[in-house]
Amino acid sequence: MTAEIQIRELFKNYPNGTEALKGISLEIQKGQFFTLLGPNGAGKSTMVKILTTLINKDSGDFSISGINPEMNQSKIQKFIGVASQDNEIDPTEKVEKLLIFQGRLFGLKKPEASIRANELIQLFELEKERNKKASALSGGNKRRLHCALALVHRPQILFLDEPTVGMDPVARANFWEVITHLNSKEGVTVFLTTQYLDEADKHATEMALIVAGEIQYSGTIIDFKKMVNPDGGLSLEDSYLHYVKSLVNQKN
Amino acid sequence: MNTTNILLIRRGINKLLKNPSAPLMGFGMSLFFLLVYNAGIGGIGSMEAFGTGGYLSFVFPITIISLAMGSSAGAGQTLNADMQSGYFKRLYLSPAPRWILVVAPMLADTISSLIFTMLLIAIGAIFGVSFQFGLMSVLGILLLSFLWSLTLCGFSAGIMLRTGQHQSAAIVTNAVFPLLFLSTTFLPRELITADWLLAVSWGNPVTYILEGNRFLLAGTSSVSFFYIGLLIFLITSIASIAFALSSANKIKV
Repeated sequence: MTAEIQIRELFKNYPNGTEALKGISLEIQKGQFFTLLGPNGAGKSTMVKILTTLINKDSGDFSISGINPEMNQSKIQKFIGVASQDNEIDPTEKVEKLLIFQGRLFGLKKPEASIRANELIQLFELEKERNKKASALSGGNKRRLHCALALVHRPQILFLDEPTVGMDPVARANFWEVITHLNSKEGVTVFLTTQYLDEADKHATEMALIVAGEIQYSGTIIDFKKMVNPDGGLSLEDSYLHYVKSLVNQKN
Repeated sequence: MNTTNILLIRRGINKLLKNPSAPLMGFGMSLFFLLVYNAGIGGIGSMEAFGTGGYLSFVFPITIISLAMGSSAGAGQTLNADMQSGYFKRLYLSPAPRWILVVAPMLADTISSLIFTMLLIAIGAIFGVSFQFGLMSVLGILLLSFLWSLTLCGFSAGIMLRTGQHQSAAIVTNAVFPLLFLSTTFLPRELITADWLLAVSWGNPVTYILEGNRFLLAGTSSVSFFYIGLLIFLITSIASIAFALSSANKIKV
C-alpha cells in the first residue's frame, strides 16, 4: 500500500549553513493523526514548508497521495490544507468575504463558496464577527479564521504547524473538536507539529521525534512511552523530556 | 483566462479602489502638467514646429506618460501589504498558478492606469486636443500607454519584491523621471539647439512614446516613432514581467 505521505532521504540546508534536514525518511498512512515533535530549530517547520511546496528541498524524494507535489503544485494544493504558526489573513477584508474568496480560489462556485463559508463561520463560532474586518478581530478569533481558511476546500490532508498558538482554552477545545471529527469521521490525515505535548498526546496516535534535523524515533505514541519507561505511567510530555535529555547527555 | 486568474486580477483592482492614493496621485500629476504647461507656455504653440494641434496637443503625451509614472507603485504596494500580513503565503498555498500572484496586481494597476488614461483623453478632447486619426488615435494611445504602464509596474513590483520595502516601488518613477528631460518633452526636435540633447533623445525610449503619441494626436511626428515605440515597450513589458516573476522566486514565504 502506498503511504499518504512518503518521504525518502530528504535533505535541506539553508544558505547560512544551517543543516535543517539530514536525510529524513518517513511514511504516514491515510487517515493517521501524526505528530512531528522536536525542540525549537529541530527542522519541523522546514519539513512542513517542503511538504507543502513553500520551499524546495535540496535532495531526496517525497510524495503526497502518490503525487509529486513539486511537479504538480496546483493539483496538490487541492488535497492539502495548511494552518501554520502565523495568521495568514488579509486584514483589510471582512471575515465572510475572505472565506468565500478562499473557496472560489479553490474552484468553488459562488453559491457553494457562500454555503461553505457559513458552515465554517458556525463551526468556528465566528457568527458575530462575520461582517467585521479581519484587522478588527481579537487574537483568538484571528486564529479561528486562519484555521477556518485552511479547511474551506475540505482537504484530505491537514498540515498543522503549531496551530493553537495564541488561542484561548475554549477556542483550543473547539479547534480540536473540529480536527478530531475530521480525522475520525471523515478520514482526513493530520500532520501536526506542536510544542503543546498534551495536545499531541490527546489527539495523535503516531509520532516522529526530530532533533537537529534527524529522526530519533518514529512509531506510535504508545510505543514511544513504553520505550522511554517500560513500566508505563508517563505522559507524552514526561517521556519526551526524559528522552530528549538523555539524547543531550549522550552527545555531551 | 481561468476563474482563479480573473478573481486575483479583480482582487487587485478592488485593492486599488480601496486605497486609490497611487492612481489618484498619477492622475492629479497629469492634470497638473496639462493645465500648468498649457497655461504657462501654451503661447509658443503658434510656432509652425508645433503643427496644427498647438501646444496643448504637443504637451498632452507628457500627461499620459506621467500618469503611469505616478501610479506604477500600486502593484508593489499591494504585494507588499500581502507579504506583510502573511496573506501572500495563503495565496501561495492555493491552486492558483504562482506567476498570476505577481502578474495580477500588475495587470490591475495597468487596467486602472488605462481607465485614468481614457479619462485624461476625454478631458483633453474637451480642452481641444486634436486626434489626427479619430478613434484609431485613441486606440493607439491606449496601446502605447498600456505597454508603458506595464513596464513601469513590472519593474517597480520586481524591485519591491527583491527589497521587501514598499517605498522602493517608487525607485522606478525616480529613475525614469530624468529621462523626461532628456527627450523632446517640452520642445519639438527642430527647436532643440543642443546637439548632445538631440543625440541623447534618439537613444531615449521616452522619445518614442512621446513622438508616437504626437503622430497620433497632431501628425507632427513620423509613424516610424509609433512603430518603434510599440516594439520598444513590448520588449520592455516582457522584460519587466520576467523581472517581476524572477523576483517572486526570491520571496521567503
